[in-house]
Parts: sequence; structure tokens; C-alpha cells
Amino acid sequence: MSNSTSPSRFSFSLDSYAVALALVLALLVRLNLLPPIKW
Amino acid sequence: MAATTTTPFHGVDDVIGLGRRIAALIPGLLLLATVGYAGKFIEQSIGAYTKARHIAFPNIEYVLWAIVLGLIIANTVGIPRIFAAGVATYEFWLKAGIVLLGSRFLLGDVLHLGGISLLLVAVAITLSLTFMHILGRAFKLKPKLTSLLAVGSSICGVSAIIAAKPAIGADDEDASYAIAAILALGAISLFTFPLIGHSLHLSDKAYGLWAGLAVDNTAEATAAGALYSDAAGKVAVLAKTTRNALIGFIVLGYALYWSSCGQAQAVGNKAAFLWGKFPKFVLGFLLISLLATLGFFTKPQLTSLANLSRWAFLLTFAGVGLRTNLRELGKQGWRPFAVGAIGEVFIALLTLALVYGADRYLYL
Repeated sequence: MSNSTSPSRFSFSLDSYAVALALVLALLVRLNLLPPIKW
Repeated sequence: MAATTTTPFHGVDDVIGLGRRIAALIPGLLLLATVGYAGKFIEQSIGAYTKARHIAFPNIEYVLWAIVLGLIIANTVGIPRIFAAGVATYEFWLKAGIVLLGSRFLLGDVLHLGGISLLLVAVAITLSLTFMHILGRAFKLKPKLTSLLAVGSSICGVSAIIAAKPAIGADDEDASYAIAAILALGAISLFTFPLIGHSLHLSDKAYGLWAGLAVDNTAEATAAGALYSDAAGKVAVLAKTTRNALIGFIVLGYALYWSSCGQAQAVGNKAAFLWGKFPKFVLGFLLISLLATLGFFTKPQLTSLANLSRWAFLLTFAGVGLRTNLRELGKQGWRPFAVGAIGEVFIALLTLALVYGADRYLYL
């Protein structure tokens, strides 16, 4: 269970880092600095 | 990660420490990527094989394969310590994926579906909290364990339990019982919800709303939605995100109750408390949705963002399977599990009835 609790200790940081990463990726896509992402 | 934001910078040692922490994530990240990609590969291979031979076979989404592969690995050979830190990042990818998914929603849809979700969540939370407390008393659970189970099953699973634990002064044992029960029930819902949805012929929207309102943990709710269809997955994430946004209010309510009983610390600044518990990724989701609505991205760019979100979810779903240790869940005793299970069935039926009503009268 320790794994389940470890992210929460950093819940503020985890959320902030996740939002920051997503926004940076969105900006890179907007500026066409990333190739088209395929699925 | 938090240490880097809260401690002063001490030069080279900090850089080396950060480098080591990042390096420690790599094996687990590779495992997440391998398991997730294997799931996608299996889906595509089966699809190509059955199509080439004109065999009628239902498409089983990569989500299920990734979770099942993860479950098999975690519960047979186990996860060696070296992978643990990287595997634990699945929640980070989930949140990044949800923010990016904002690009697939126009803000008007978010407000419409989010508003309906909010209404349904308010009704469901009130009834389910009451029901869980009656159940907890009937099964003679410790009151704080009952509070944790009620918060976990009515709001948002593991994160809600973790947020509530210090606020109500619950002990570690209660928290791990409640987490184990919620995780076990989340795993069961992954396999039962899509079956029930298909047998009731629910629309993508109705099913997605139901999964988002009834499945506790965000990762499992996202997976349960995606297992039904891509569109249902989208709606499930939106409904679940609405639920997550309410976490602070419920935890604040419990904190005030337990401190009034003299069994938890008093809450000082309530606004700061609410902000502290508010899941910040919800703001990121709304921001990306707003940008998409304002035409900030071109159509191919929106496709790229949606695909980035899918890749992030692929890592998440692999993590859901890899972190589920069935033996450990079995050790936690039957009473918290029974209370959780009965409560979950109640919440699932209640939310299903609410979604049926909303589908009919609120035009989903």
C-alpha cells in the first residue's frame, strides 16, 4: 500500500508538474515544434 | 519531487540528488511503456488477424489488455523494487492526460455536462455518505474508518482518502484498509461496468457519466469509460473531474465534524484549506478546453493533443494493473471490504438511476 500513498504526499507538486508538462506540450504543439503525434 | 520545490537550493548536491531521483524513475517508466504498448499491440494484432480472416470478434480495447498484463506481472513474478518508483508515476501521467484531454471539449460542453454531473454528484454524495455511515455502524467499523470509506466511495477514491486522513486525524491502519477496499472494488468495476453498460444498451454519454459518477478512483473511472468506447471515456473523465473538484468541500466538512468532537485538529483558514485540497489539474483541464474553444489550436494540432492524452493514459492503464496486488488486498480483512462492496453496489445503482433520469429529462 505504500505505493498508493507515496504520490499523495506530493499531491500539490504532482498536480502542478502534470499541469506544467501538459501546458508545455500544448505550447510545443501550437508552435509546431513537435511533429504530428500519431496514435 | 516536492523536496525540490520546498527546500533551498544547495548547488551541485541538489542537482546530483535530482538526477538520481529522475534516474530511479526510468526502469519503472520503461515497464509502464512496455506493458501499455504491449496492450496496444495485442489489440491491433487481434484486430488485423480477425479482419483478414473475416472473423466476427468484438474489439477488446488496449486498455483491458494493458491492465490484465499488468495484473499478471504484479501478481505472479511481482514488481522488483527497482521498478517501484517509475510505476508509481502512473498517477502523474493520468493527470497530464486529463489536462490534455481538455482539448477535446468545447467549454460549453464542459459546462453543460459538468453542470449535470455536479447536480447528480451532489445528490449521489448526500445519499451515499448517509448510507455508508449506516452500513459502517451496522458492521461495527471504527467511526473514522467509516468516514474514510464514505469519502473514498462517494467522492474520489484513494486521493480523497489520503486527503481526508490527516484532516480527520485517522490512523495509518484505517487509511490502508479503506484504500485496499477502494482499490479492490475499483478493479472489480473495470470488468463489471462495461458488461452492465452493454447489456443495458446505454449510450456513450450515459455510460460515461455513470462510470465517472460511480467508479471511485480516477484511473479506474477513466479506464472503465475507455473500455466502453472512446466517447464514453471522454465523458467519464469529465464527470470524474467534476467529482474530484468537490473533494475539498467534503474533506472540510469531515474535518470540521471531527474537530468539533475533539478528535482532530481545528481547521484555521477554510479558504486556504479548500485551496490546499483542490485538485489543480482541474484548472489545467479547463484552461486547455478554453484555449481549444477560442480556436487557439488548429484541427491537426487538436488531433496531436488528443493523441498525446491517449499516450499518457496508456502509461496510466499499465500502472493500474501493475500496482494492484491481489494478495495484499486479500489480507485486509473482510469487514471494510464488505462495507465498501455493499456501499459501491448501492452507489452504482443509485447513480445508474440518476443517469437514466438525466438522460430522459436533462437531455445529455
